[in-house]
Amino acid sequence: MKKQKNIFNWQADRSKYPEKKKNGKLDIDMSSGKFVKLWQGPNHPGITGNMSLELTISGDEVVEAKTHVGYLHRGFEKLMERRLWIQCFPTCVRMCVAEPDYNEYLLAKSAEELSGIEIPEMAEWLRTLVLEMARLQSLLRTVPGQAGTLSLGVGVQWGVYLRDLVLDLFEELTGGRVYHMYIIPGGVRGLLPDGFKKRMEEVLKKIDEFVKNIENLMFNNIVFKKRTIGVGYIKPSWIDKYGIVGPNARAAGFKRDVRKDYPYLKYNELDFEVTSEKDSDIFARSMVRKKELIMTIDLIRQIMAKMPKKGDIKAPTPNVLHWKIPKGETYVRSESSRGEYGFYTVSDGSKTPRRINLRGPSYTHAISLLERMLVNANIADVHSIMVSLQTCPPEIER
Amino acid sequence: MAIKDILTPFTAWKKVFNEPVTIKDPFNDRPGAERYRGFHKNELQTCIGCGSCEEICENEAIDLVAVKGYETKNGDSGLRPMVDYGRCCWCALCVDVCTTGSLTLSNEYTWVAENPDEFRFVPGAENKAWDKNELGWKKPVPNYEFYGQKRVKMEELSPEERDHSFIEIIKGYSKEQAQLEADRCVECGICIATCPANMGIPEYIKAIREDDMEHGLKILYETNPLPEICGRICTHKCETVCSVGHRGEPLSIRWLKRYIADQVESAEYKRILGTDGIENNGKTVAIIGSGPAGLSAAHYLSLMGYKVTIYEQYAKAGGMMRYGIPEYRLPYDQIDKDINYILSLGVNIKYNTKIGKDISLAELRDKYDAVFAGTGLHLGRSTRIPGTDHEHVYQAIDLLNKITEGKEIHVAEKIVVIGGGNVAMDITRSLARLQNQKYGKVQIIATALESEENLPADVEEVIEAREEKAIINPGWGPQYIEIENGKIKGLHVNKCLSIFDEEGRFNPKFDENNKNFFEADMIVESIGQGMDIAYITEDIKSELEFGPRGRIVVDENFQSGAKWLFVGGDIIQGPDVIHGIANGHKAAYGIDNFLKNK
Amino acid sequence: MENIIKDIQNRFEVSDIVNQRDNITFVTCEKEKTIALITHMKKNLGFKHFVLMTAVDWIEDGLFQLTYILNNPKKKLDVAIRTFISRENATMETAHKLWKQVSTYQRELKEMFGIDFPGSPRVNESFILEGWNDIPPYRRDFQTKEYAEKTYFPRPGRKTNDPSEYMKKNMS
Repeated sequence: MKKQKNIFNWQADRSKYPEKKKNGKLDIDMSSGKFVKLWQGPNHPGITGNMSLELTISGDEVVEAKTHVGYLHRGFEKLMERRLWIQCFPTCVRMCVAEPDYNEYLLAKSAEELSGIEIPEMAEWLRTLVLEMARLQSLLRTVPGQAGTLSLGVGVQWGVYLRDLVLDLFEELTGGRVYHMYIIPGGVRGLLPDGFKKRMEEVLKKIDEFVKNIENLMFNNIVFKKRTIGVGYIKPSWIDKYGIVGPNARAAGFKRDVRKDYPYLKYNELDFEVTSEKDSDIFARSMVRKKELIMTIDLIRQIMAKMPKKGDIKAPTPNVLHWKIPKGETYVRSESSRGEYGFYTVSDGSKTPRRINLRGPSYTHAISLLERMLVNANIADVHSIMVSLQTCPPEIER
Repeated sequence: MAIKDILTPFTAWKKVFNEPVTIKDPFNDRPGAERYRGFHKNELQTCIGCGSCEEICENEAIDLVAVKGYETKNGDSGLRPMVDYGRCCWCALCVDVCTTGSLTLSNEYTWVAENPDEFRFVPGAENKAWDKNELGWKKPVPNYEFYGQKRVKMEELSPEERDHSFIEIIKGYSKEQAQLEADRCVECGICIATCPANMGIPEYIKAIREDDMEHGLKILYETNPLPEICGRICTHKCETVCSVGHRGEPLSIRWLKRYIADQVESAEYKRILGTDGIENNGKTVAIIGSGPAGLSAAHYLSLMGYKVTIYEQYAKAGGMMRYGIPEYRLPYDQIDKDINYILSLGVNIKYNTKIGKDISLAELRDKYDAVFAGTGLHLGRSTRIPGTDHEHVYQAIDLLNKITEGKEIHVAEKIVVIGGGNVAMDITRSLARLQNQKYGKVQIIATALESEENLPADVEEVIEAREEKAIINPGWGPQYIEIENGKIKGLHVNKCLSIFDEEGRFNPKFDENNKNFFEADMIVESIGQGMDIAYITEDIKSELEFGPRGRIVVDENFQSGAKWLFVGGDIIQGPDVIHGIANGHKAAYGIDNFLKNK
Repeated sequence: MENIIKDIQNRFEVSDIVNQRDNITFVTCEKEKTIALITHMKKNLGFKHFVLMTAVDWIEDGLFQLTYILNNPKKKLDVAIRTFISRENATMETAHKLWKQVSTYQRELKEMFGIDFPGSPRVNESFILEGWNDIPPYRRDFQTKEYAEKTYFPRPGRKTNDPSEYMKKNMS
């Protein structure tokens, strides 16, 4: 690997192994005694869900990494092929625990687009709100979670508390804390409860305070900086090569955001700038996520101010018990807190989907990219790097 | 790298004195939110066990089970949902789809039990702690529906377009309208048991959704060989129990049936129904009367290979359907369509042949292997008040008969009709049309003992009669007809206070101080019809058993005491078309059984 | 978008063009030309971002549909390329050289649909289903419910009633 400039903790390849064979391939011979296999996971507390890394190490350096998934496979895509369209709606949420709402939205949007249904304005606003709340609760776990990988657990506890307050709001609005099952094909399942705005503002104020505290705790912390700046570097040229999206791409200077580039719901009526950083290391990615957190708070405030007070929440749909969606296919995407999250949906004109395929950001991040990034990394940095990609294993294997 | 980076993280220490945010007693301090999706509640009194919750449950967590204290009855299966919480995912789709709104979720989310089987129970039947919780998920309102609540409006002729003639009022659904209406069906099947003929309603509605008219027609003919007729004038008891009707308008089941029959050309029937070349089994059955019961029996007997002969007293087939129901409700060509198909199966029909006059019942008994009598109610009943013997006092049924035959009838300028049933409406509206044709205006009053809300006629009949400018003035009891110089002056009535006494017997009470007089020069009585079974001679009668009001007693196969004689239709059950059809169908199987075992 | 579609229409004879939205178009390409088309789109037309690839089983036609969705981040356009391959001995040319993550997709397709991509790295390694010996489970002829009933155990004592059957029984 080439030496990187201006990144002060970077150390080039430290070990002399593995040597290169004549044909250019690495000579990793496990019987040589120079290498050790180290399994990390599948039960790792740093990520939401189970995934394991098969590391080949030499000294404290990783020379080869392989991602193993399959601990969470429930075959949701297949299960949805055997269910009515409406029945897919409680199924799809489980494809990503961290932010189930994107699944709901994308399924609903696909069904609506393929059957030509327009949803009421009020429902669009409520969907936008729920998707931003989902991002908020996800980031409240991820931003301090990065420090958590370096044993700085205080921020994680603050974050988890605040996340629970957001979940309280979800509970009020949707009736569920984690799986909200709120965005239904055709609309949403309820208006804002009385006094919701006030309670939302109270929580947002606490999160404002949290952002200040986390600034002091993490981002102005010598240990955190030492362990993250220059570590887990993603070359800008890798962005398209590996299919990197979301904050991971934005931290490398790519101002790509589905909300801005392909506006959906009410995002073109909201005022926001796509966040970005240049350094493309763990610290930069953390910074991007912190900025996103601030932006999300702002977006929620904007949504609450702009949202109409009343309105229909659901468009009339055919009887859900025998709703047939016309033959066709589509791809719809949204920006989850991890990046482009999309559903490729095929209908054959019957009561059940022909195929629903989820394009989750972790699919590319945690496998091909992570396997590449871990080469030459110090084993102590492995989980930091993994968490900095904000991996969500359930969306890899669905 | 600055000294700041070493010091600032320590600012976190200032939080060490903060109050903990933990909830101290989560079992009591933290109830679920107003919309929380916790354990199910079900108002078992309201629930009808339609099974829509089971249908929509993506996890198959719901079973329908019998619950003590809830009997199967019209419009209620008597079943109630049992939830398996080992499978439930608390999505509340079952609540949102619930046809009656009985099912909700409570906000209770903590419950511990040692036996896993306790987590499978019938909500509402087991006195759970949360059954009284006010909070919890309910179906959002308004305009949040999983299926259409409003009927697709049936287009009909406006009163001005229809009140001069006898052309059909109802236009029938277009394909688009029919499919939209069919889409509202939740396929629960609650209606099937209430339909006297047990028609496969959800399945033929499904055929409309899938635009498969041939399959639809097959389903119709499984239980009902007169779909064009029933699709127009059935009393649609099914619609009164339709589960969709609990929160919205019930499905227009009758119009959907008509839609299927209307779509298929009569020339196609035999091919679709596969009734070409039925093998004759060499046995013969005589049927008396070509009303719905007789035709239905003839149809199913023919399919089974019997050689059927119908004896009809009039010149055309159809019985009350043709001679009782006016053409604007049931056009004659539609009657012919259904009947001609049945006749095409090899049914022989002898018109203008009255049993007891042209041929005796005993002769039929000797000539045929079995006899089915569906002779209906053709004798008009009279109020027998003073003045009813006047020549311009008529029986509705006689007038309707004559109108069908195209005979001229007496139409006076001012008419009073006594009666509040569908036949009364039929004659009122028919006479209103004739008045319009003759005088250019309508002056007809229909009066009945029953009050407005208890009128036995279908609501739409009353509404439409009023639209056609007939006056419906219910709640009066006729006392006598005033006649002056041999001419009718009108009808004297007293306010009716009650119709039945404490024991439920017919015994009307009138208010002597509240009188009224309806001017008229012609009066029509339409208070019901009786049967004429004079054709059953004494020797045969002696074999039969008679129940209350002189009804012949039959077993569940409509077999009478004289084993060769089967009886059905209005003289047994009803009166209406669909009971007749159902009777005829069952009697056909009864006859088949009887002859096979003979 | 129009120009792009015209360009690939001329060069690769794509058919069945469906403009699903303003910024996404679905096209069908012959199996042999597909990888060339994708390469062309990446190299010359700016479709640098590989969104996804997956398969759809059209068992009734005996075909697998492979769908590649490509994105042009500059112009903010998507083109989805469908190609149909036979379900019998399903094989497709590998595209792993174009994007790094493609090999993962191909590995999954091999496992879940049984579509082979000769030359794709680690394509034969199991991806999700270690020790699977049934037919590839995402094929339409794999019956999930049957499998679940065979593999797991249903709760004993459960039985349900159909309302109309139950009513017929109790009311006649």
